[in-house]
Order: sequence, then structure tokens, then C-alpha cells
Amino acid sequence: MAMSKRKRAEYIRYAQYGILLVVVVLVAVLADWGQIQRAFFNVDIAKSMFPSVITVALKNTIIYTALGFGFGLALGLVLALMKLSSVAPYRWIATVYIEFFRGVPALLVFIGIYYGVPIAFQMQFPPLTTVMLALGGVGAAYMAETIRAGIQAVPKGQVEAARSLGMSQSRAMITIVIPQAFRIILPPLTNELILLTKDSSLIYILGLFREQYELTKFGRETLSRSPSLTPILIAGLCYLIITLPLGYLSRYLERRGTSGRKKVSA
Amino acid sequence: MSDSFVEITGLKKSFGPLEVLKNIDLQVNRGDVVCIIGPSGSGKSTLLRCVNLLEEPNDGKIVVNDVELTHPDVDIDTARTKIGMVFQSFNLFSHLNVLANLTVAQRKVLKRSEEESRRIALHNLDRVGLSDKVHSMPAQLSGGQQQRVAIARALSMDPEVMLFDEPTSALDPELVGDVLGVMRQLADEGMTMLVVTHEMQFAREVADKVIFMDGGYIVEEGPAADVIGNPQEERTQSFLARVLDPTHHGPKDPE
Repeated sequence: MAMSKRKRAEYIRYAQYGILLVVVVLVAVLADWGQIQRAFFNVDIAKSMFPSVITVALKNTIIYTALGFGFGLALGLVLALMKLSSVAPYRWIATVYIEFFRGVPALLVFIGIYYGVPIAFQMQFPPLTTVMLALGGVGAAYMAETIRAGIQAVPKGQVEAARSLGMSQSRAMITIVIPQAFRIILPPLTNELILLTKDSSLIYILGLFREQYELTKFGRETLSRSPSLTPILIAGLCYLIITLPLGYLSRYLERRGTSGRKKVSA
Repeated sequence: MSDSFVEITGLKKSFGPLEVLKNIDLQVNRGDVVCIIGPSGSGKSTLLRCVNLLEEPNDGKIVVNDVELTHPDVDIDTARTKIGMVFQSFNLFSHLNVLANLTVAQRKVLKRSEEESRRIALHNLDRVGLSDKVHSMPAQLSGGQQQRVAIARALSMDPEVMLFDEPTSALDPELVGDVLGVMRQLADEGMTMLVVTHEMQFAREVADKVIFMDGGYIVEEGPAADVIGNPQEERTQSFLARVLDPTHHGPKDPE
């Protein structure tokens, strides 16, 4: 006689707890806790990083991310509109851009912009501009697809109502469709912002000065002068100061979005 | 200058291979209420949507208030400000509150001042009996309230004709009366109205002319008393029998 379904489910649940317990015990026994503590939790080194880890590195990470996000959002909107354009070449250009910058590692793009732009255009951008172009250029490729999906998710009736009131196509787009599209895509857009925050670590390739260091570069720089991995831990925790609230914000917006739109007419 | 306020001649519209409107002629006089009835798929909504060119006709001529909308050089956006439209699914701007729904097009299209557009919006909200909902969001309103706001939104543009595309079809039965009441009041005030509807009672009591459509043609038209009260065409008779007395008819025979 086979086990009843309910009994089986119960045993499987026990097995899952069992596996978890075994893994935890193994890690606890095998790891050298003394070493881990010395490697990651050196209080003196941690103390030596303050306050500049906050006043310089965290601040710069936020500035770089904000610049990249702002530029990426604007460029992403343009690309999204190009993708929806009735002019075929616009659609092609947007598609090529999005596919290229989504498909190529951000690090390569940064190198290309840092070394390539001065050669190609015989001009040297200030560092912040380069950061903005590099981070935003990559972010735009991702955001364009999100924004396009948001625009297409706005019910057709909204445009028809706007047009029936005498709004032109572009007026309806600006006044009615885009504001609604951004409400719809706010949660995924917040996720893009989290990804961009982490991508900002790649701009170490741009060869920054000490006061321009962002968190990862700052952590690695401290690491090179100290016998402990503590700087990496501190830098990581600083990222969480940015990303955890954003993740919470994203989930909050998602909840609010679904409950707010439930009753809205199609 | 013709007598008709809305004049449609030889209107044809296809969606791909599907011919939805086959040579429609229709005149609506200023101040008249015209109700368009007919089975689903008869083309009545498409006809209505052609009147403000939400659907682009394939052929034919549409003149509203002496402006030929089908002329290639017409400024359709300006023409549409004079043609109010009310949709089956309300289509209130879901990100704007009631007041902003009523003022946004006044401000952006008619370039009215904030003060003037607000005054006109409040006046029209009062007409539809929703003065207390000025700051509500559309999602907080019932279907009937949303539709009345949609009517007030269209009225705020001071239209010369109003198009109603099955305005009560998406409503719970107990909310239909509020919307029909507002429409009846508009008709009494002399608004020119084209109404696609299944509300036969409304058509009978309010319409100056009733049009029965089937298969992309106008099958029968005339005063409500004739078309609904004493239909001459067999198709009109069988449609009305089904609509007015739905429980006493079996499924439609296959043709």
C-alpha cells in the first residue's frame, strides 16, 4: 500500500528541514571562525575607513548612479518612443542600440567610451560626464524596453479619450500615456536603479582620483593597504544602505500599484 | 450650407477583408437625438467612431457643422473639440482626479486659464450631479459615477454634438438610470446627440430618430414610434423581438 499524499508531503517537508540542518552544521564545523573574524571583522580597519567611506565613497556612488539613471531614463524614453515610431529607420536604430548595449558587458562599454570617445571626437569630457554617458548609456538600453512595455500597457481607450477631446497624438502621449506608463513601470524601474547602483562599481576603469572614488574602488584601495578583507565587507554594507530601501520601495510600489489599478476601467 | 448638422454620405469602412460599413448615408439635424440600434457586429459602433474619425473611413464623406472631416487638409484635432464622445468603458484618465480629468483638455487644447477651466469643470460636474466628487480618483467611483464624469468631461469642451458609444452597457443595472437621466437632461437642453444603445426605452422616449443597422447597412430609420413601435423590415422585427422579450425566444436559427 502506497503512502497517502498527505503523509508523503509531510515526509518531504521533514526531509527539507533535515537537509537545511545538515548544511548549517557542516558549515559551522568546517569553517575556521577565528580566521573569518580576523579576515572580515577587523574593528580598527573598519574604524579607519570612517568617515570617508560615507562622505566620499558612498556619496560618489550615489552621485554617479543618480547621474547615470537620470541620463539613462531620458535616453531610454527616447529609445522607447523610437521603437514605437511609425518611421522604420527609427525603430531599427533603437533596436540596434538596445540589443548592442544589453548584449555587451558594461565594462567593455565603459572602456569604449572612456578611450574611444576622445579619439573619435577629438574631445575629452570631464569625468562626471563620462560617468553619466557610460552608466546612462548602458542603463538606457534596459530602461528603453521597460518603458516601451509600460507605454504599450496603457489601455488604448486612454488615447482614444484624449484624441476625442482634441489632443494631438504627441499631446496625448505626453499628457496621458507617459505619466500612466511610468506609474505602471515604477517597480521594474526601481530594480533598474538597483542594478545601476551596482554597475557604478565598474567605473573604476575610468581611472579616478582619490576624491572621486566610489564604494568598490574605495574598498579595494583600502584593502591594498590593510591585511584584512574588512574594507570589502564595509563597502558591501554601504551598498546595502542604498539598495535595501530601494528594494523595499519597489515592493511597496508594486503593492500599491496593483491595488490602485484594480478598479480602473479598461 | 445644408440643413443637417451631421451629414454622412457613402461611408464605407473595412477592417482588413471584413467590410463593416457598406455605403452608409445619414443626416442628423441640429438639436436632434438619433439612436442607433442593432445586433452586435452590425457596425453601429464603427459608424459612431467614424463621426469623429477615431476610425478612418475607407470611402465616403463626413461633414459635421459644415466642416468636412474626411477632407485631407482638415485640422481633425480642432474639429474634435466640438464633438464630444462618451465611451462604453468610460476611459477616464486613471492618473488624474475628477477635476483634472475635466480640465486637462480645456487647458492643453483650448488653452483656457486654470480659473476658467475650473469654473467650467465645476459647472459641468454639477450638471451630472457629482459636485462632491471633485477630488476623487476615477478608481474610487462606481461605474455610473465614472460615466457621468466622462459625460461632464466631454461637456467641458463645449461640444456642439455628443457621441455616445453604448454608454450604459458596462454598468450594473441599478446604475444605468443615473446615466440615462443625465443624457435625457442633455437632450432636453437641445444637445445634438448620436447614441449607440441597447436601451430601447430610452430610444423610444428620447430619440427624434431611430436607426436600425444590420450587416453594415442602415436597414430602417424613422421616428422611434415607427422603427421600434411598428417596424416594417423583417430583420428589425426579429431583432426587437429578441431585445424586448429575450426570454421567449430560442437561439437564433443558423442562416
